[in-house]
Amino acid sequence: MVRLLSTSLVVAGLCLVNVSTGLVSTASARELPADPLNSVMWKNMAERFFPGEHVVIDQRVIVDIPIEVEDQMQLPVTVDATELSDVIEIIALADLNPIPHILTVRPLKAQPFIGFRVKVEQSTPIRVGVLTSDGVWHVNGVNVNAAGGGCTAPANAHSNSQWYKTLGQARAITKRETADSARLAMRLRHPMDTGLAPGIPVFYMNQLQVRSATGEALADVELFEPVSENPTLTLKPLVEDGESELLVYARDTEGNEFEYPLTVPAEVDN
Amino acid sequence: MKINQKMLGAAAVLAVTLSATSNTLADGHAVGIADIVGDQASTDDIVSYGLGPKGQRYSPLASINKENIKNLFPVWSFSFGGEKQRGQESQPLIKDGVMYVTGSYSRMWAVDIATGEELWQYDARLPEGILPCCDVVNRGAAILGDKVFFGTLDAKIVALDAKTGKVVWRKKIADFEAGYSYTAAPLIVPTEAHGPLLLTGNSGGEFGIVGQVDARNPETGELVWTRPVIEGHMGTLNGEESTMTGTKNETWPGDMWKNGGGATWLGGTYDPDTKLAYFGTGNPAPWNSYLRKGDNKWTSSRIAINPENGEIEWGFQTTPHDGWDYDGVNEFVVFDMEKDGKTIKAGATADRNGFFYVLDRTNGDFVSAAPFVKNISWAKGIDENGRPILDPENRPGDPAESADGKKGKSVFAIPSFLGGKNWMPMAYSQDTSLFYIPSNEWGMDIWNEPVTYKKGAAYLGSGFTIKPIFDDYIGSLKAMDPASGEVKWEYKNKAPLWGGVLTTAGGLVFTGTPEGFLKAFDAETGEELWKFQTGTGIVSSPITWEQDGEQWLAIVTGWGGAVPLWGGEVAKVVSYLNQGGSVWTFKIPEQLAAK
Repeated sequence: MVRLLSTSLVVAGLCLVNVSTGLVSTASARELPADPLNSVMWKNMAERFFPGEHVVIDQRVIVDIPIEVEDQMQLPVTVDATELSDVIEIIALADLNPIPHILTVRPLKAQPFIGFRVKVEQSTPIRVGVLTSDGVWHVNGVNVNAAGGGCTAPANAHSNSQWYKTLGQARAITKRETADSARLAMRLRHPMDTGLAPGIPVFYMNQLQVRSATGEALADVELFEPVSENPTLTLKPLVEDGESELLVYARDTEGNEFEYPLTVPAEVDN
Repeated sequence: MKINQKMLGAAAVLAVTLSATSNTLADGHAVGIADIVGDQASTDDIVSYGLGPKGQRYSPLASINKENIKNLFPVWSFSFGGEKQRGQESQPLIKDGVMYVTGSYSRMWAVDIATGEELWQYDARLPEGILPCCDVVNRGAAILGDKVFFGTLDAKIVALDAKTGKVVWRKKIADFEAGYSYTAAPLIVPTEAHGPLLLTGNSGGEFGIVGQVDARNPETGELVWTRPVIEGHMGTLNGEESTMTGTKNETWPGDMWKNGGGATWLGGTYDPDTKLAYFGTGNPAPWNSYLRKGDNKWTSSRIAINPENGEIEWGFQTTPHDGWDYDGVNEFVVFDMEKDGKTIKAGATADRNGFFYVLDRTNGDFVSAAPFVKNISWAKGIDENGRPILDPENRPGDPAESADGKKGKSVFAIPSFLGGKNWMPMAYSQDTSLFYIPSNEWGMDIWNEPVTYKKGAAYLGSGFTIKPIFDDYIGSLKAMDPASGEVKWEYKNKAPLWGGVLTTAGGLVFTGTPEGFLKAFDAETGEELWKFQTGTGIVSSPITWEQDGEQWLAIVTGWGGAVPLWGGEVAKVVSYLNQGGSVWTFKIPEQLAAK
């Protein structure tokens, strides 16, 4: 169950309409907490991405981002929701991107943690919603200052006409962080075209799954256009004792499929 | 500290089918194999290329007829958008009020027919360096179950979810870096052994590729069989080598068969009666015929393939030992011919080489041939066995016999290498028993040069330039009587015709012109009854269907294709034509329908 801290504000379900049953929802059907990021898109983001009755602003959702964006094509973001229990889903958004939805993670048998890099089109909130099994969205975020143009510029890959030959190549680091949890960092080669750069159709890695040696899904990641070129992801799947095998499966919007076998060492190393 | 760091290769590719099959689309039943086989009779949908796998392009609809066609008006026009306007050769498919239409640069749209609004768009992410010889065209899609299928310029075949446009699977047909490409509409045929199969050919005849027909499981994209069309190459069945095509070196010298061409770039037709799939095969490679003495089977041929196992049941070569790029890939239209009181199970094809052939479709036996363009010079005629009677003066000369060995004697040959008829499909009317052939009257200067094969480079060994043979027209739509070989009527068009033909039980023949007109003719007389200016050249095939009690007509527009790329002196009559990729629909407005 969720531990409620005094700093978190729970908005109870005053609304008469239950979104999850598919009935019509209106903006006034529920009260949203004030947006600490003061974004003009808050209401819209909450309606689109945080359905249900309970939305709280929760500092236990740690969103770690450099305040000044050095490279708007590759803004590193770390989301740590390990202070929450029973996390079902993590959604990351960039309110003011032309395509706000960055990714969704379902940590089935993994820590509620994700590291990634995102393209930002302009200064924007980076907002994260964490859904726990009691139906509450725990929302937090950071405002970042950025120069413009991250989503509508062509990927660097296109300066190399042979980019398709290295599509899906990957580097990965795995280590055992605690007795039962690994840290997996990987970078996959993919242009992650948003479809917004002139003449370049949308083309991105849209599914990634971390699986155990027996094929059990440990973490599901849905990626969207704003994820940076050559997606760089950090996940923390739960692992068995002893040296453990993992398999990362990925697929892009063109149906290209990739598989990466990885090994987690037996000894803890943190 | 022990960190396990790895460089990983692109560990492709498991055959994981992520989406389960759902059996229904929006508000109708999903397309089944019986719907495809019976497509011609069902007027409320178009679920195959050619309005039925026989490829007749004949519709039994007669609501729009000679009397009321003057009242035919556009309903909506849908733009293909952006800067990719050129080269729209596609025939749309229609199912449950949705139009599935492909466009140049390997794109596809689903459009709500009632409103003309887009439901989804798919843009293939093409790699740099694709090598389409003859423009960035696509000719159409196939549909089965909850998926639509089409091929892309980088020689891949992709299955999309018909409701969302998302990729279900995508498979490589061949290596685009070796010059392979794909532009035809795939063909779906029934089999007893494997269920429905998705059949594709390949493109790339100018790059020394090898023509092949592949059959795949439409659910997964997995290969079931492959059949290379050049003798000496091995086919496969269920993942294992099956049989060799022909006998190695029977009609090819040395190693020339290895890059022998014969691209199956126009797709195929299917006859539910003989249960055979008919594919045309393209020109041999290189064009310089002195480098490959012999008949060069099966190039410039029609072949009948048994879809159960991928075996070639029969072949008929229209231009043995081709030396003119008579890339005889033209569609083989299945029909029954009444002649001398008998019904012949026939098939007809109007070849690049200028002759219209009728064959017995059960065994490939030659029935008859007649010229459908004027002043043919490369052959004096076709003999009783179907072989051309060559005029040796009109084969371009051997460069080895020239003084410097670099350029053989040039000849003026008719038709030009773009053919008496090119890719654009003809139509056959079950009412008039006539074929309506979109043809062109032109010739070429052609000469041979030395050439050697290099992967991914043009493999021609020829130089050429096209010339009109008449001052006032090149394009010629002809009504051909297959039984007599006589041309019943002709419509002349200034620019070369490059679009397909449709005929209907309303006694009409439709085709588009590069000048931008969609035109309707009286099927009996050839009288022009109606035209509409679409604003850009038409190089695609019209369709007609019934929706909510009304007969609709649609045509894709957008000038392009091979003529502006290869057209020689012909460029004069087409260089002013403007681009503009879109699809237009037409019907007779309600208030005029009764008149």
